[in-house]
Amino acid sequence: MDKVVVTGMGIISAIGDTVAQNRQSLKKGISGIGHAKHFVSKYTQLLPFAEIDYSTSDLKKKLNITQSGATRTDLLALYAFREAIADAQLETSSLVSRQIALIGASTVGGMCLTDELYADANKKGENGSEYLLSYPNSAGAMFIQAQYNIGGIVNTFNTACSSSANAIMFGARLIKNGLATKAIVGGVDSLAKYTVNGFKSLMILSDAPCRPFERDRKGLNLGEGAAFLVLEKEKDAAGKKIYAEVKGYGNSNDAFHPSSTSPEADGPFLSMQRALQSSGLHPKQIDFINAHGTATENNDETESLAMLKLFQTPPHFASTKSYTGHTLGAAGAVEAVNTILSLYHQEIYPSLNFENKIESTGLVPVKEYGSKILNNVMSNSFGFGGNCTSLIFGKI
Amino acid sequence: MFIHQHICISPQHTSGDVDLDVLNPSANGQLTAIEPELTGVPAGLLRRMSKAVRMGIGAGLPILQQNKVDGIIVGTANGGMNDCIKFLNQIIDYDEGMLTPGNFVQSTPNAIAGQLSLITKNQQYNATHVHLGLSFENSLIDAQMHLKEKAEGNYLVGAVDEISSYNYNIDLLAGWYSQNIENQSFYQSKLPATIAGEGAAMFLLNNNAYDALARVKDIETFHASDIETVKARFKIFAEAQNLDSETTIFLTGENGDIRFNPFYHSCEAIINDITVARFKHLSGEYPTAVSFAVWLSVFALQNKKLPGHLFKTENNLSQLNNIIIYNNYHGLQHSFISITSN
Repeated sequence: MDKVVVTGMGIISAIGDTVAQNRQSLKKGISGIGHAKHFVSKYTQLLPFAEIDYSTSDLKKKLNITQSGATRTDLLALYAFREAIADAQLETSSLVSRQIALIGASTVGGMCLTDELYADANKKGENGSEYLLSYPNSAGAMFIQAQYNIGGIVNTFNTACSSSANAIMFGARLIKNGLATKAIVGGVDSLAKYTVNGFKSLMILSDAPCRPFERDRKGLNLGEGAAFLVLEKEKDAAGKKIYAEVKGYGNSNDAFHPSSTSPEADGPFLSMQRALQSSGLHPKQIDFINAHGTATENNDETESLAMLKLFQTPPHFASTKSYTGHTLGAAGAVEAVNTILSLYHQEIYPSLNFENKIESTGLVPVKEYGSKILNNVMSNSFGFGGNCTSLIFGKI
Repeated sequence: MFIHQHICISPQHTSGDVDLDVLNPSANGQLTAIEPELTGVPAGLLRRMSKAVRMGIGAGLPILQQNKVDGIIVGTANGGMNDCIKFLNQIIDYDEGMLTPGNFVQSTPNAIAGQLSLITKNQQYNATHVHLGLSFENSLIDAQMHLKEKAEGNYLVGAVDEISSYNYNIDLLAGWYSQNIENQSFYQSKLPATIAGEGAAMFLLNNNAYDALARVKDIETFHASDIETVKARFKIFAEAQNLDSETTIFLTGENGDIRFNPFYHSCEAIINDITVARFKHLSGEYPTAVSFAVWLSVFALQNKKLPGHLFKTENNLSQLNNIIIYNNYHGLQHSFISITSN
């Protein structure tokens, strides 16, 4: 069967609005977590966030979008999408083909406009706002579809924090099953009072920059971002820059609790194991894991446990959430880009803010930037509802 | 891909003793689902469930209790919209004060597939597709690929959407609904509006032709706002199905909204010798209403007939073996599905 490869990437996150800028921040250990300037909430001054340094109107100007109803989420999605298709040298006119698929992911969609949604849903005004069609999770993918009149299968996932990892998996499967020749896959989420208050009510937001895999970790920081990858068959990518092969993917459900992972870490273990099975690789052939690593009490301990169970001696691992915050529905794609950057440039970016091992697991993430020979790398995404997905990218 | 079991919770008598001769009326422009009593759900879980989650469990759990499945795949545009806005209202009303997480956790669209996994301890593939009017179709495509990747697999695939007062308000403000039309007469309303509906339908899918209820032969989805694109794609799709006017029904998602009638009428004209039937006076309009149409198709193929109120044109069938479904959501999202009896 033909290999599915990554020929283009686009990203906007708190550490940069291009793939190159994100790499520079990762290399230098510069985190995007800090005070939010644009996000308005009671918590803006109380909690750190990984916010993108453009206002929504800046984004509109940069993208030359004048139509009404475009939300921050839609704009971030378009921003990353444009970089990805340009990087893969896709002519915009070619996107109308029924062989071009667009698979998006989001958990907040237009709910970033909490106050507008509140007014519209409770019918506070007579006519409603300009955003009546912009609230669904699908709005970002629909916005991009309409911009380019994309002709193939268009879809949106919401499996909470594993949403865009599933979008990548689905896109690769569409190509392997002959339902598309190219798939542009990724996800987006912007900061929203909805998610900030939701995670706050679960008491898993840290009041300091997050510390993945640290014994004294206090929780996660919310971030925002969008990332898209262009996937196509290797034989169609002749002469193009190829970043990586999408070598394997595994999806599981932990089937334990709506908002926490089982003490046995079944879900994370099974998604990683299934990704290995689908890639035909042995555990020893994984050189690096970009962990889900949210820095919550529950995740980091259970993810460590799952890595120990599957690998005995886990490979090098780190969490780029210490740079980008937790970008929720975008996290799977944002971290796929970061993981592929590691693979393509044969380098590992350190996990930030780590000092002490978790006693029960004793695992230490990568703490220093460095070059490393990498052949196969894994990226983990685990979400509420028990949804776990792991992806494996291989060097071409 | 073959359908082996199916359960539908809808505004009509579709679960338990099915009776489609009786048409339940809408009220104030809404058709609300009749919920069956749930068994096998822990009381603590049940109390916290939104209607969307309850309907999804009600349709999906009986199938999961009888079958080991290799995946649970759910399409829902809104998931637990009611809980979502309840939580949102608390955020605003209490000025981001201390809130309880119950509504937040229930509001995520993946709660339905997640709860089905949780209750049945199913750790297999689990996905939630939320692409508005194509959420269910994308779930079918997901299952179709799985059945190529793992030929012996069994998959639970379905869709759920609820009417909450909140999504109803948003869609009413957006001009999709009218409260002044009802399901007995809305095809003739001549208004740019329709009635709201809700429901859940779940299916057991595998590659086993033996003893199957029906076969999902073909699915196509796309986005377009112009009729010409729809006509061109429908022509190709219909030709590939080798339709026979004596054995085929064309089941359309016509919903009375005069903006979308031309799409349906143009497709009817392309296969003008095929008997036309409609289903939205039973289900109402919602993003995953096609799941109701698929349930209805399987029911019709099993019973070899449908009640008269479903037919738009004269019924010319000598036998019923094929159903072609065309649905159009908001004039933008289109799907064609071909269901056959074998």
